[in-house]
Amino acid sequence: MSAVAAKPTAGGAVDMTAMIIGLIILLVVIAATYFVFGSGLAFMALIGIIVGGILIGFGVHFVPVGGAPAAMGQAPGIATGVAMLAAGAGLAGLFGGAWAAEQGVVVATITGAIGGGLMMAITCMFVTFIYVFGMGIPCASGKVAKDPITGDTQAEFKSQGTEGHGLPFVSYVGGVIGGLFGGAGGTLIYLMLLDLYKEELPAMMNALPGQVLPIAVTLAGMFAIGMFLVNAVLAAYNITGTIEGPHDPKFKRFPRAIVASAVASAVCGIVAIMIVAV
Amino acid sequence: MESIVFGIGITALAGALATVAGAAENTESDIGSQGDPNSQVQLAPQMGYIHRIFNKAVAGEPPAYGLWIVLGAGIAWAFMAMQINPILAIVLGSGIAVFVQGVYATTAYLGRTASLAKFGQPVYVDILKSMTTVTMAHAFVAIFATVTLCHLINAALGHPFPLPLLGIVWGIALGAAGSATGNPFYGKERQYQNQKFGAGVPIAASGNIVRYAEAGERNSLDNGWFSAKLGGPASGVCFGLIVFLELWRTVLFEQVGAGWGAIIIGIIMILVFTVIDRYIEVWARKNYGPYTKPTEEGSS
Repeated sequence: MSAVAAKPTAGGAVDMTAMIIGLIILLVVIAATYFVFGSGLAFMALIGIIVGGILIGFGVHFVPVGGAPAAMGQAPGIATGVAMLAAGAGLAGLFGGAWAAEQGVVVATITGAIGGGLMMAITCMFVTFIYVFGMGIPCASGKVAKDPITGDTQAEFKSQGTEGHGLPFVSYVGGVIGGLFGGAGGTLIYLMLLDLYKEELPAMMNALPGQVLPIAVTLAGMFAIGMFLVNAVLAAYNITGTIEGPHDPKFKRFPRAIVASAVASAVCGIVAIMIVAV
Repeated sequence: MESIVFGIGITALAGALATVAGAAENTESDIGSQGDPNSQVQLAPQMGYIHRIFNKAVAGEPPAYGLWIVLGAGIAWAFMAMQINPILAIVLGSGIAVFVQGVYATTAYLGRTASLAKFGQPVYVDILKSMTTVTMAHAFVAIFATVTLCHLINAALGHPFPLPLLGIVWGIALGAAGSATGNPFYGKERQYQNQKFGAGVPIAASGNIVRYAEAGERNSLDNGWFSAKLGGPASGVCFGLIVFLELWRTVLFEQVGAGWGAIIIGIIMILVFTVIDRYIEVWARKNYGPYTKPTEEGSS
């Protein structure tokens, strides 16, 4: 097969060598953390960061993003960038999750997830509102004949010369699910780092726990936002441009993003841990 | 009880500020052509359509607003640490952030437009002089309102994040909500006003944006006037609802059921918005189209 002929399939193909190298890096980082810091808080923080990163990387694939063509009603989805929309939703979730941090990991993580989901639900509803009442354009998918959830046929509502437009119901649901995953992942990373910093910073800075709390919150929040953007951008590269949601053929690329997110989160995570635990 | 009433008051004020911020953000980005429709503004000269539209899209709205609002919030926070009155500190912080936005807008317009020189697109200095200040004014409203709501969340509602961190969270969320809601209205309805209403822009028409106004050539102030009629307010209501409902469910229901109250209310609200979305979608299917005859197997 020539290089030109190989191009169209290359986007979705899984490069096994790269996957194996990625998994080896992941295992090395986990093993190094275990041997250096033991099975204590630092190790748990790393595992939490990796799980959070995977949730974010996976969640971004659900978000229906149409980019520039969507802004002209040429393609379905929300008219903005993949990473940025996911970041907006995930950070709104992180905001809620951080507020509920005192209620425990489970409640705070779910609160963060709901915060992200709510942000996406409102945004997606307004996208449909603008398309229907502002531009007079109904929703139509370009990737599937029928909406997998509602069974609505799509082709007859697609205007001529376009790939579809608006947010079909399955894309709306995908957006909300993406927000849920993003919010949960961001909050989990934040909570794990916060616990670690609250434990380690007083001894390190020779200060009372109450005095280091603002520093711990700020550091954990900054790392959580940073790692959120790392994972969202990685997933955006995996998607390459636009995606309609879980029914889009590009959605099947997610295993690659999960490995990439796990590796990137592990590498970023160990840096975040080492600033206090070494 | 008193604290809950106070919390609801702050929540309402933050929601109102967010609404103003969202409307100003979208109008600013449409005047500057910063959202996704900028692709057409950039493409038009390459297709032979020389225009007088401002073009400052060297970053997406969410990261750009993340930067400006975190700048405003960070500087305001530093002033507050110097015991300066919070209102004055926020005004000063927003003012300095707006100057950064102005530098960004100027260099972005010059850079993006100069790159089109080989297609014959001139750099209009009068456009630079008249549009930049207008985008700066709108940006000031958006930054001031968002930094103020972040300060309220931090100081009055007791969120643990410091002001600059809240600034980056809500700055990115503001840009995301504004670009998602407002972009299609500017991109399709305004840039392609010459295309049929009620249909997407055919891909073949890409680049053929409307370049003439009632008198003379259309500029970005005309676009701001147009998108302020629906795209801006809709973005404002969208961001206002996000901020208001997120705060409302936490302030009122966080103490119910050890945190589960806020979660259940959040799920109910997501379901309510899902029903509204589905209603609008079905309404559109009944009232618009179908454009072609329905087939048994649907589309291919």
